[in-house]
Amino acid sequence: MQVIETLAQGLKRELKVVIPAKDMEARMNERLAEVKDRVRINGFRPGKVPVAHLKKVYGKSIMADLVNEIVRDKPTEILSGRGEKSATQPEIAMTEDETEANKILNAEADLEFTVAYEIIPAIELKDVSGIKVTREVVEIADEEVNEQILRIAESARSYESKKGKAANGDRVTIDYLGKVDGVAFDGGKDEDAELVLGSNRFIPGFEEQLVGVKAGDEKTITVTFPADYPAANLAGKEATFDITVKDVAAAQDIEINDELATKLGLESADKLKEIVRGQIESQYGNLTRQKVKRQILDQLDELYKFETPERLVEAEFENIWRQINTDLQQAGKTFADEETTEEEARAEYRKLAERRVRLGLVLSEIGEKAGVQVSDDELQRSLFEQLRQFPGQEKQILDYFKNTPGAAASLRAPLFEEKVVDHLLGEISVTDKTVSKEELTADDEEGEGKAAKKAPAKKKAAAKAEAAEGEEAAAPKKKAPAKKKAAEDSAE
Amino acid sequence: MTDLRHYDVIVSPSITEKSTLVSEQNQVVFNVAKDASKPEIKAAVEALFGVKVTAVNTLVRKGKTKRFRGFAGKQKDVKKAIITLADGQSIDVSTGL
Repeated sequence: MQVIETLAQGLKRELKVVIPAKDMEARMNERLAEVKDRVRINGFRPGKVPVAHLKKVYGKSIMADLVNEIVRDKPTEILSGRGEKSATQPEIAMTEDETEANKILNAEADLEFTVAYEIIPAIELKDVSGIKVTREVVEIADEEVNEQILRIAESARSYESKKGKAANGDRVTIDYLGKVDGVAFDGGKDEDAELVLGSNRFIPGFEEQLVGVKAGDEKTITVTFPADYPAANLAGKEATFDITVKDVAAAQDIEINDELATKLGLESADKLKEIVRGQIESQYGNLTRQKVKRQILDQLDELYKFETPERLVEAEFENIWRQINTDLQQAGKTFADEETTEEEARAEYRKLAERRVRLGLVLSEIGEKAGVQVSDDELQRSLFEQLRQFPGQEKQILDYFKNTPGAAASLRAPLFEEKVVDHLLGEISVTDKTVSKEELTADDEEGEGKAAKKAPAKKKAAAKAEAAEGEEAAAPKKKAPAKKKAAEDSAE
Repeated sequence: MTDLRHYDVIVSPSITEKSTLVSEQNQVVFNVAKDASKPEIKAAVEALFGVKVTAVNTLVRKGKTKRFRGFAGKQKDVKKAIITLADGQSIDVSTGL
């Protein structure tokens, strides 16, 4: 086997590999000898088929197998022999000419193919101790905790039946029948419906007209559906509702005490406060962490300047571009709405893609040097987190991760990145700084603006991008923000 | 016309253990039409493959009776011709016509 380097320009490499026909034939004969005792051909007892005949029957298919195998295995072998790492799957080109291909299959011509790839540049790890980041920590005020508790308590508020007129904030139990032009319409009827006055759950005007009713009252009210009501046949129409009031109940005052805590399934008010505070803290913690991470990435970006493999950038760019386009489409916007042209946007996202690729490479290198590893346990956990977001489809998703080889890697990438960041946090100097809640959130906008400062849609995209910056994790990129949200929701 | 008849005479080469064995003695084996005579076979082989035939031996292998779902059936009889070629000549039977 001969390997000739035909191109070595920047990060691009092209190799020409030649395998002489003789070698190929020798390999084929080996194969034939192997299968000889196993094949069954009519007219011959097993194992008695002459090799010449076998070659005539199976020679070509065996050769094709051989060629495939060589083309599949050789490039990695050659690359590891040369001590290079390919950034992407190496591109392999063979002869297109059919007679030529036939000759190769008949072991008359040498097998030749070219391997084109881009190497991952050797990254010299630089001293990271020069990186300084400020960790912004928010002091959580008691009021904030209380506020949050009140919000939670709202849903668990208790009501007590009262005699007399219903006031705003009271809960009424009613039967109602809605009619448009004297005809009852779909969804306009309910019995024993509980409605908190002033909660704005019904169409405007409905609740207001119920203020002042008493238990046992019967009343007919007239309301107009808003013009943007989801049901087209009702939007903008005037409707009458025949209402029978069954009960009026007054809301109990909410007090943060042990009773409330027990109702929410906790032992004491202190415990409740503690938990709520923990939740808020973790929310801010996420934010803080994101900011710290961005600072690290920004500085790493400054620190490392090297050529990035074009194909990786291209792939990453395609990812972003697709995402942006679907986002825009969903929002029903065009680039003109965002005060930019397609070309400008392209250039901008290309820069973003390059930055991401570069940082991804740096992070993975750092991680490798530091011996950062993602354990199966952690992978499993993140898999379940993904599953939680798609209730009812767990099975499909599990299958997807099982059957798609890249999928597991896409789960692993963000985990790996997080761990590398953890590792870095241990090495660089971190200054803690207490800031107010406003400062923390306000600064955040600014940081996003740096990556893409033009339009809100872009900001969103940039935020998404930052969230999963680094490794070529296409799939979770989309899901990452959703995950965070889901986590918060379930926390509440 | 005679040409087309040649194609009808010779049905297929017979590639078996035995036929590869006799090929050592410069002989080839063909399945031929049931009603083909030795002179016909000789003429056909000489015309189609461009070789000189020195002898033609034929045999008819009778079809076996086989039962299929309880019904008696009979496989076809096959006539084979073992052809001896003149010294130094050969036919590559497996490549087909």
